[in-house]
Amino acid sequence: MKEISELNLPEDVRYTPEHEWARPEEEHFAVGISDFAQDQLGDIVFVELPQVGDSFAKGEEFGTVESVKAVSELYMPLGGEVVALNGALEDSPELVNSEPYTAGWMIRIKSSDAAEADGLLSRTAYLELLKGIE
Amino acid sequence: MSAKDLKTTPLHDWHLARGANMGQFAGYDMPLWYPSGARSEHLAVLTCAGVFDTSHMAVLTVAGPDARSLLQRCLTKDLDRCLKAGAALAGGRSVYGAFLDRRGHVIDDAIVFQKGEDAFLVVVNAGMGAAIAAHLEQHAAGGRVSIGDLSDRIGKMDLQGPRAARILGRILEDAQSVLADLVYFAFKGAWRGEQPVVRPVRLTNGIPLLLSRTGYTGEFGFEMFMSPEDLQPVWDMLLEAGQPDGLLACGLAARDSLRAGAVLPLSHQDIGSWPYRYHPWEFALPFDERRTGFSKSFVGDRALLEIESPRYTRPFAGLDLRKVTGGGHSSVVDSEGRTIGTVLTCVTDSGIDRVGERIFSVSSPDKPAGFRPRGLCCGFVRVSSPLAAGQTILLQDKRRSIRVMIGDDIRPDRTARRSVRAMLDAKEESA
Repeated sequence: MKEISELNLPEDVRYTPEHEWARPEEEHFAVGISDFAQDQLGDIVFVELPQVGDSFAKGEEFGTVESVKAVSELYMPLGGEVVALNGALEDSPELVNSEPYTAGWMIRIKSSDAAEADGLLSRTAYLELLKGIE
Repeated sequence: MSAKDLKTTPLHDWHLARGANMGQFAGYDMPLWYPSGARSEHLAVLTCAGVFDTSHMAVLTVAGPDARSLLQRCLTKDLDRCLKAGAALAGGRSVYGAFLDRRGHVIDDAIVFQKGEDAFLVVVNAGMGAAIAAHLEQHAAGGRVSIGDLSDRIGKMDLQGPRAARILGRILEDAQSVLADLVYFAFKGAWRGEQPVVRPVRLTNGIPLLLSRTGYTGEFGFEMFMSPEDLQPVWDMLLEAGQPDGLLACGLAARDSLRAGAVLPLSHQDIGSWPYRYHPWEFALPFDERRTGFSKSFVGDRALLEIESPRYTRPFAGLDLRKVTGGGHSSVVDSEGRTIGTVLTCVTDSGIDRVGERIFSVSSPDKPAGFRPRGLCCGFVRVSSPLAAGQTILLQDKRRSIRVMIGDDIRPDRTARRSVRAMLDAKEESA
């Protein structure tokens, strides 16, 4: 298990208490799971994603991520419409383990309410939350 | 239970120092996987070897003139006929069975090792030492037998995989003679301070151990019992000796996925507080030749013969690797849409995959060129209808429904029963 000090927690994304992240891009947000989440799950063998065009509310389940041991839900960090999926995860789900914030992204969403992003956790706030879990 | 209340094994500091993801299992803080990952660990056991810390398991001693008759009365296996060709259990041999209550429900499963005429070891699951000792005491009342609980006083590690004998041979004194006739479910030696069975077994640095040709992965290998203070040096020695082959330390996640693919039950999950019948492990019941009764009487026998509405435990393998979460909230639905039971175990065996109609393993000699398994979900269902191999069913949990196929077996080409000779002679295969 990674020590908190070993976790990769970039500044350019916002986090949720459920360990997803959202990164603001030009018009959309990229979404994935944090380094802490992938480390806890272990080897990821399958990622089940929604369809492009599906819409979900903030906090709603949009898919699942499956390790050798268990299946875990993925929750929307922001409400909105799914505009793109990371097709590379179909053949290489392990990208979520190796590069959780870059090649291991999961979906891109068009946010329905950009103000929701303000409610997400900064790196500092997320780090505090992780310290509470340990 | 908080982490500080959990028990640990003597290798706990090593697990933490190596960055293992730890998890709670039967009251112990145990490694689930190391940074190499559960998938690599699972594959290492299929293609090379893995070593598992299994010191959380409990060991009992049963000794005295009435020891054998007590075990004969309590274990589901007939000790007088359980070896090949109906031979009786003898010194240096062990047997797998279960301890039942009068309702025929499983208290725990076990391996019983016969040391001498009146001396046995009983290895049960983590945290079950006291319960099984109490059960045996109860049925021993007045008998000339003493039962000792060595839980946490004996260390154990399992070296499993096709290269296990080759790796162990490098650190074993007199390796050729120790390993030569060590057949499946045979054992030799003893841990520190005990009289060796058959012959002494020592490592090249003099550490004595009890070496058994058993395991919980379905693959060739050994369980090694030793004094707790010997665990760390032996662990280090093994890892060093196996390093050129790619030997990996493995956690409980790989142990679980390997055993599920090998159709081995997890006690309290696949067998438990229900009658011990109609499951893939009926070889552990002492059926007579006509299969209408048993060749001996034992605790729980009558209840097993009087079951009115059977529940059947059947193995399954998925069409892909996706799983459901098993347990009380899961359900099994048959082809007519009827709910017929629940899912007991559902994990991914990442060493296997379907190619056409067949399941291949990474260790299948005839696997297709370029075979690179994504894994298949597999496990056990407990259902009210005796599903035949090849039937498909739906497994459901709160979020998904997956189609799986009942089979009599799951992972093909397992090595557990191969001879030491065959494994030592095996051609080098690329992992």
